[in-house]
Amino acid sequence: MERSIIFQKVKEIFNDTLDEIEVDLTDTTTADDVEEWDSITHIELISEIENRFNFRMSIREIENLKNLGDMISLIESKVEVSQ
Amino acid sequence: MLFNSLEFALFIPVVFILYWFITNKNLKLQNFFLLVASYFFYGWWDWRFLFLIFFSTCVDYLVGLKIGQSKEDKSRKIFLWVSLFVNLGLLGIFKYYNFFADSFVDAFSFFGVSFESARLNIILPVGISFYTFQTLSYTIDIYKERIKPTTDFIAFAAFISFFPQLVAGPIERASNLLPQFLKKRVFEYDKAVDGMRQILWGLFKKMVIADNSASLVDALLNSPDQSGSTVVLAVIFFTFQVYGDFSGYSDIAIGTARLMGFNLMQNFAAPYFSTNMTDFYRKWHISLSTWIRDYIYTPLGLRLRHLNRSYGYIIVFLITFTLFGFWHGANWTFIVFGIIQGIILSYEYRSRKMRKKVKAAVNKKAYLFISGILTYAVWCFSCLIFRAESMSHAISMLDSVFSLSLFSFPEFNGKKLALTTTIFIVLFMTVEWFGKNEQYAIGGLPLKFKRPLRWFFYITLVAVIFMYAGEKQEFVYFQF
Repeated sequence: MERSIIFQKVKEIFNDTLDEIEVDLTDTTTADDVEEWDSITHIELISEIENRFNFRMSIREIENLKNLGDMISLIESKVEVSQ
Repeated sequence: MLFNSLEFALFIPVVFILYWFITNKNLKLQNFFLLVASYFFYGWWDWRFLFLIFFSTCVDYLVGLKIGQSKEDKSRKIFLWVSLFVNLGLLGIFKYYNFFADSFVDAFSFFGVSFESARLNIILPVGISFYTFQTLSYTIDIYKERIKPTTDFIAFAAFISFFPQLVAGPIERASNLLPQFLKKRVFEYDKAVDGMRQILWGLFKKMVIADNSASLVDALLNSPDQSGSTVVLAVIFFTFQVYGDFSGYSDIAIGTARLMGFNLMQNFAAPYFSTNMTDFYRKWHISLSTWIRDYIYTPLGLRLRHLNRSYGYIIVFLITFTLFGFWHGANWTFIVFGIIQGIILSYEYRSRKMRKKVKAAVNKKAYLFISGILTYAVWCFSCLIFRAESMSHAISMLDSVFSLSLFSFPEFNGKKLALTTTIFIVLFMTVEWFGKNEQYAIGGLPLKFKRPLRWFFYITLVAVIFMYAGEKQEFVYFQF
């Protein structure tokens, strides 16, 4: 799956879970940039991403994510493997 | 040694001089001096418990090194468990043993089986809940490869026992505080003045707001008139007692550390202006709530994330906040307090989209104002349970609140004190409102006012402390 398509899908997930956020999501976006993205919604975001892309992340993988770009890259690698 | 005592007023200048002028030539010597000063400070209460801190320090120092050296995941895990077992074991014995022993006996007597009480005659070591969490964060962070273990034992021991924050926080992370022990501190005049300013503000909160409120809470709860209005008034004063006490303590701790050139984390960020309880817990006892977020809530939430979409998070909230409540002490009131917080946060999470829509549809200022009042009311309710001696006491207080006596005039001794304290609370909250974005309410003073006006403010504050300080009370959070 292409990175841009993944990004688009992730944006949809963010908008569904966090309810129409106003911030523009980019590779360098972190939870600090998005008011609604906190420790609580983070968990829901992770599980939504896993469900929609149909894969599982390990705790260590999740903890190592630094920004949205990292998350997209992780999804990319996981989806490639499963394809 | 209490911060608001004569001993401390003598202790701190002596430490300050020895620290900056005598031991400052050599970093190791200076750290060793801080360690001695910290053990002296703590030993003033009870020197016997110094062995406990020293033991905990040695275990975590060695465990940290071992985890750092091990390549295998299995042995790393074993060492982490050693640290968890020792620290939580000590906490369990000293803080919770009698509670479990009593609950066990009670549970069996309920079914008609009687056991002899197995209570142990132990007293709670001051600050154990605070420094235990601090050392745990060190070993867990090494295990998670967030930080590297230190090989400097003196610096590590000084980091664990650092006297400004040893007995009641802020619960520091090794990643923030430990590196500050490893590099030379340089005296900065502005920083020291800022530290003094924060200490002064903390003393005002503790001695004027908290201690006076404490006397009123006792007078109200001990008055023969236990009408609803009396209880409500007591609870309102209690919210200011607990806030003035603990945030005042934190200010003194942070200010004292800054006098030594250390930066501690912010522990309170004007929590009484929160507009929901989720927001409140980002601003209240921040060092504990972020600790619980990072070491309990997130790991637990991530592991249970596939449990169930519609109620999985409720379980995570309930577990997290029950532990949060229980951290405060071995009493059912704290457990119920925690459960209630868990329920409220679950509700807020569930309704977040709906609330966002309402906020967008109505007048924003009115919405925030009403939300602020409701949040404070919820906090008052929580504080009633937190303050109660037992659950039956809490229920009898709630009985009075939800009765017609709520509309009577409260009868108690000390109405004049209630009036002056209320005036100080209003002034306190006004200052806090204007300084709510600062590290502490009067932290922005140098930018806003010129020197003569600042000095006028400081002198007034000192005068107010001398004239209106309440009866000296221990810090509420020392019992936790």
